[in-house]
Amino acid sequence: MSSENFDNLRLELRRGGLVVAVLAALHAEQYGYTLRKIMADHGIEIDEGTLYPLLRRLESQGLLTSRWREEQKRNKRFYKLTAAGKQILEQLLTEWRSMDSSINSILKEYGHATSRTVFASR
Amino acid sequence: MQLLERYLQAVKFWLPKDQKEDIIAELSEDIRSQIDEKETELGRKLNEVELESILKQRGRPILVANRYLPQEQLIGPVLFPIYRLVLKIVMLCYLVPWTVTWIALLIFNSGYAAKFAGHSWVEILGSLWAQLWGTAFLAAGTVTLVFAILERVQRKSHFLEEWNPRKLPPVNNPNLISRFNSIVELAANMIFGLWWSANMSTGVVLNQVNLRIALAPALWRYFFWGFLLIAFVNIGLAVANLARPYWTARRAAIRLVSDMAGSVFFCWLLKANVLAELSGASIPPEKAIQVTALLNLWMGRVFPIAVIFGLVIAVVNILRIVRVAAPTAHIPGKTAAMA
Repeated sequence: MSSENFDNLRLELRRGGLVVAVLAALHAEQYGYTLRKIMADHGIEIDEGTLYPLLRRLESQGLLTSRWREEQKRNKRFYKLTAAGKQILEQLLTEWRSMDSSINSILKEYGHATSRTVFASR
Repeated sequence: MQLLERYLQAVKFWLPKDQKEDIIAELSEDIRSQIDEKETELGRKLNEVELESILKQRGRPILVANRYLPQEQLIGPVLFPIYRLVLKIVMLCYLVPWTVTWIALLIFNSGYAAKFAGHSWVEILGSLWAQLWGTAFLAAGTVTLVFAILERVQRKSHFLEEWNPRKLPPVNNPNLISRFNSIVELAANMIFGLWWSANMSTGVVLNQVNLRIALAPALWRYFFWGFLLIAFVNIGLAVANLARPYWTARRAAIRLVSDMAGSVFFCWLLKANVLAELSGASIPPEKAIQVTALLNLWMGRVFPIAVIFGLVIAVVNILRIVRVAAPTAHIPGKTAAMA
């Protein structure tokens, strides 16, 4: 598989996960730059061109709330999860875990068998 | 920091009017935070090159702004395959005949050809190329405009989302013969056979006081029996196709022979000067002779077109035989042994 194919599939795989990660990180109030740092510290690199439009979309959907506040002598926009956001996050996490469990179950039943077949044919 | 201001201004230009200030304030703050962090790490102010590197990493202003804009499509994924198909059909059914007509006009119409008198073939082809592009752009533009309008309507009404699986076309099997077609073929050939036998055996097409049209009797009998025989073969074939509605190699070959015989007879008819007499109470004999000769002449002139049609029919029939005889030919519920 080409690198471009992998990048596209990886992007598709990550897209939904990023929303969950951002919502999860915004249990505590954060502004964009620190949010990006937190995500990066936990192994999720997200560029600002993806993060800020995503934050705006989630805010327009009522899942986040934001306010401008001065910190370290500069105005920064702080985001936080709303009650509706918390509820959606719980539902998304349930879905995420269910998906994870299903994929693991498929891998256990077929993934290993496929590997064995591949090795046996060599 | 002037570079940063210039960058923000360039991004701002492409942003939606009501969000310009808000987005720029946040973007500006984010970039300044990154600069602060870098300066703390280096223990000094950033120089122009380092700032340029940060901005370059952020991306081209129009791309950065584009991420904040709503995703818009002229023609969405639902309509796009139909749009592409229509575009191909338009290109094939409009531009190809247009080119053929243009070339035919150039060859057969002396008035049109006179426009290009004194021009070399390269110049004439250049003119065709220029006109073809103009026509192609107009055709493609019109199709695109229609589909862009359809897309807007579709987005509001969702008319393409309502569909019924029962209304999908049946599975396409080129070897299947429509029973309706066989019935029409049977009826048409029976009517033709009866009419032909009753009215055309003598070769007198019309026998009125005011007008009498007669064909050369010695020649006509070949055509009379020839076309009658072809009609009988077609009746037999239609009956067989009605009973077993799928092509077999044998029946496809019979159809080829029948169609070829029909084409040969028709072409011969056009070239044989078969019209022998045209007379009437009010038509002077000299005029009648002139008209008869003229009609025979014009029938002869149609001959090349009839030959082309005959060849096209032959090709279609041969392709059918090849398709049916191919090992992968699919006859639902039947085996190749039936051939």
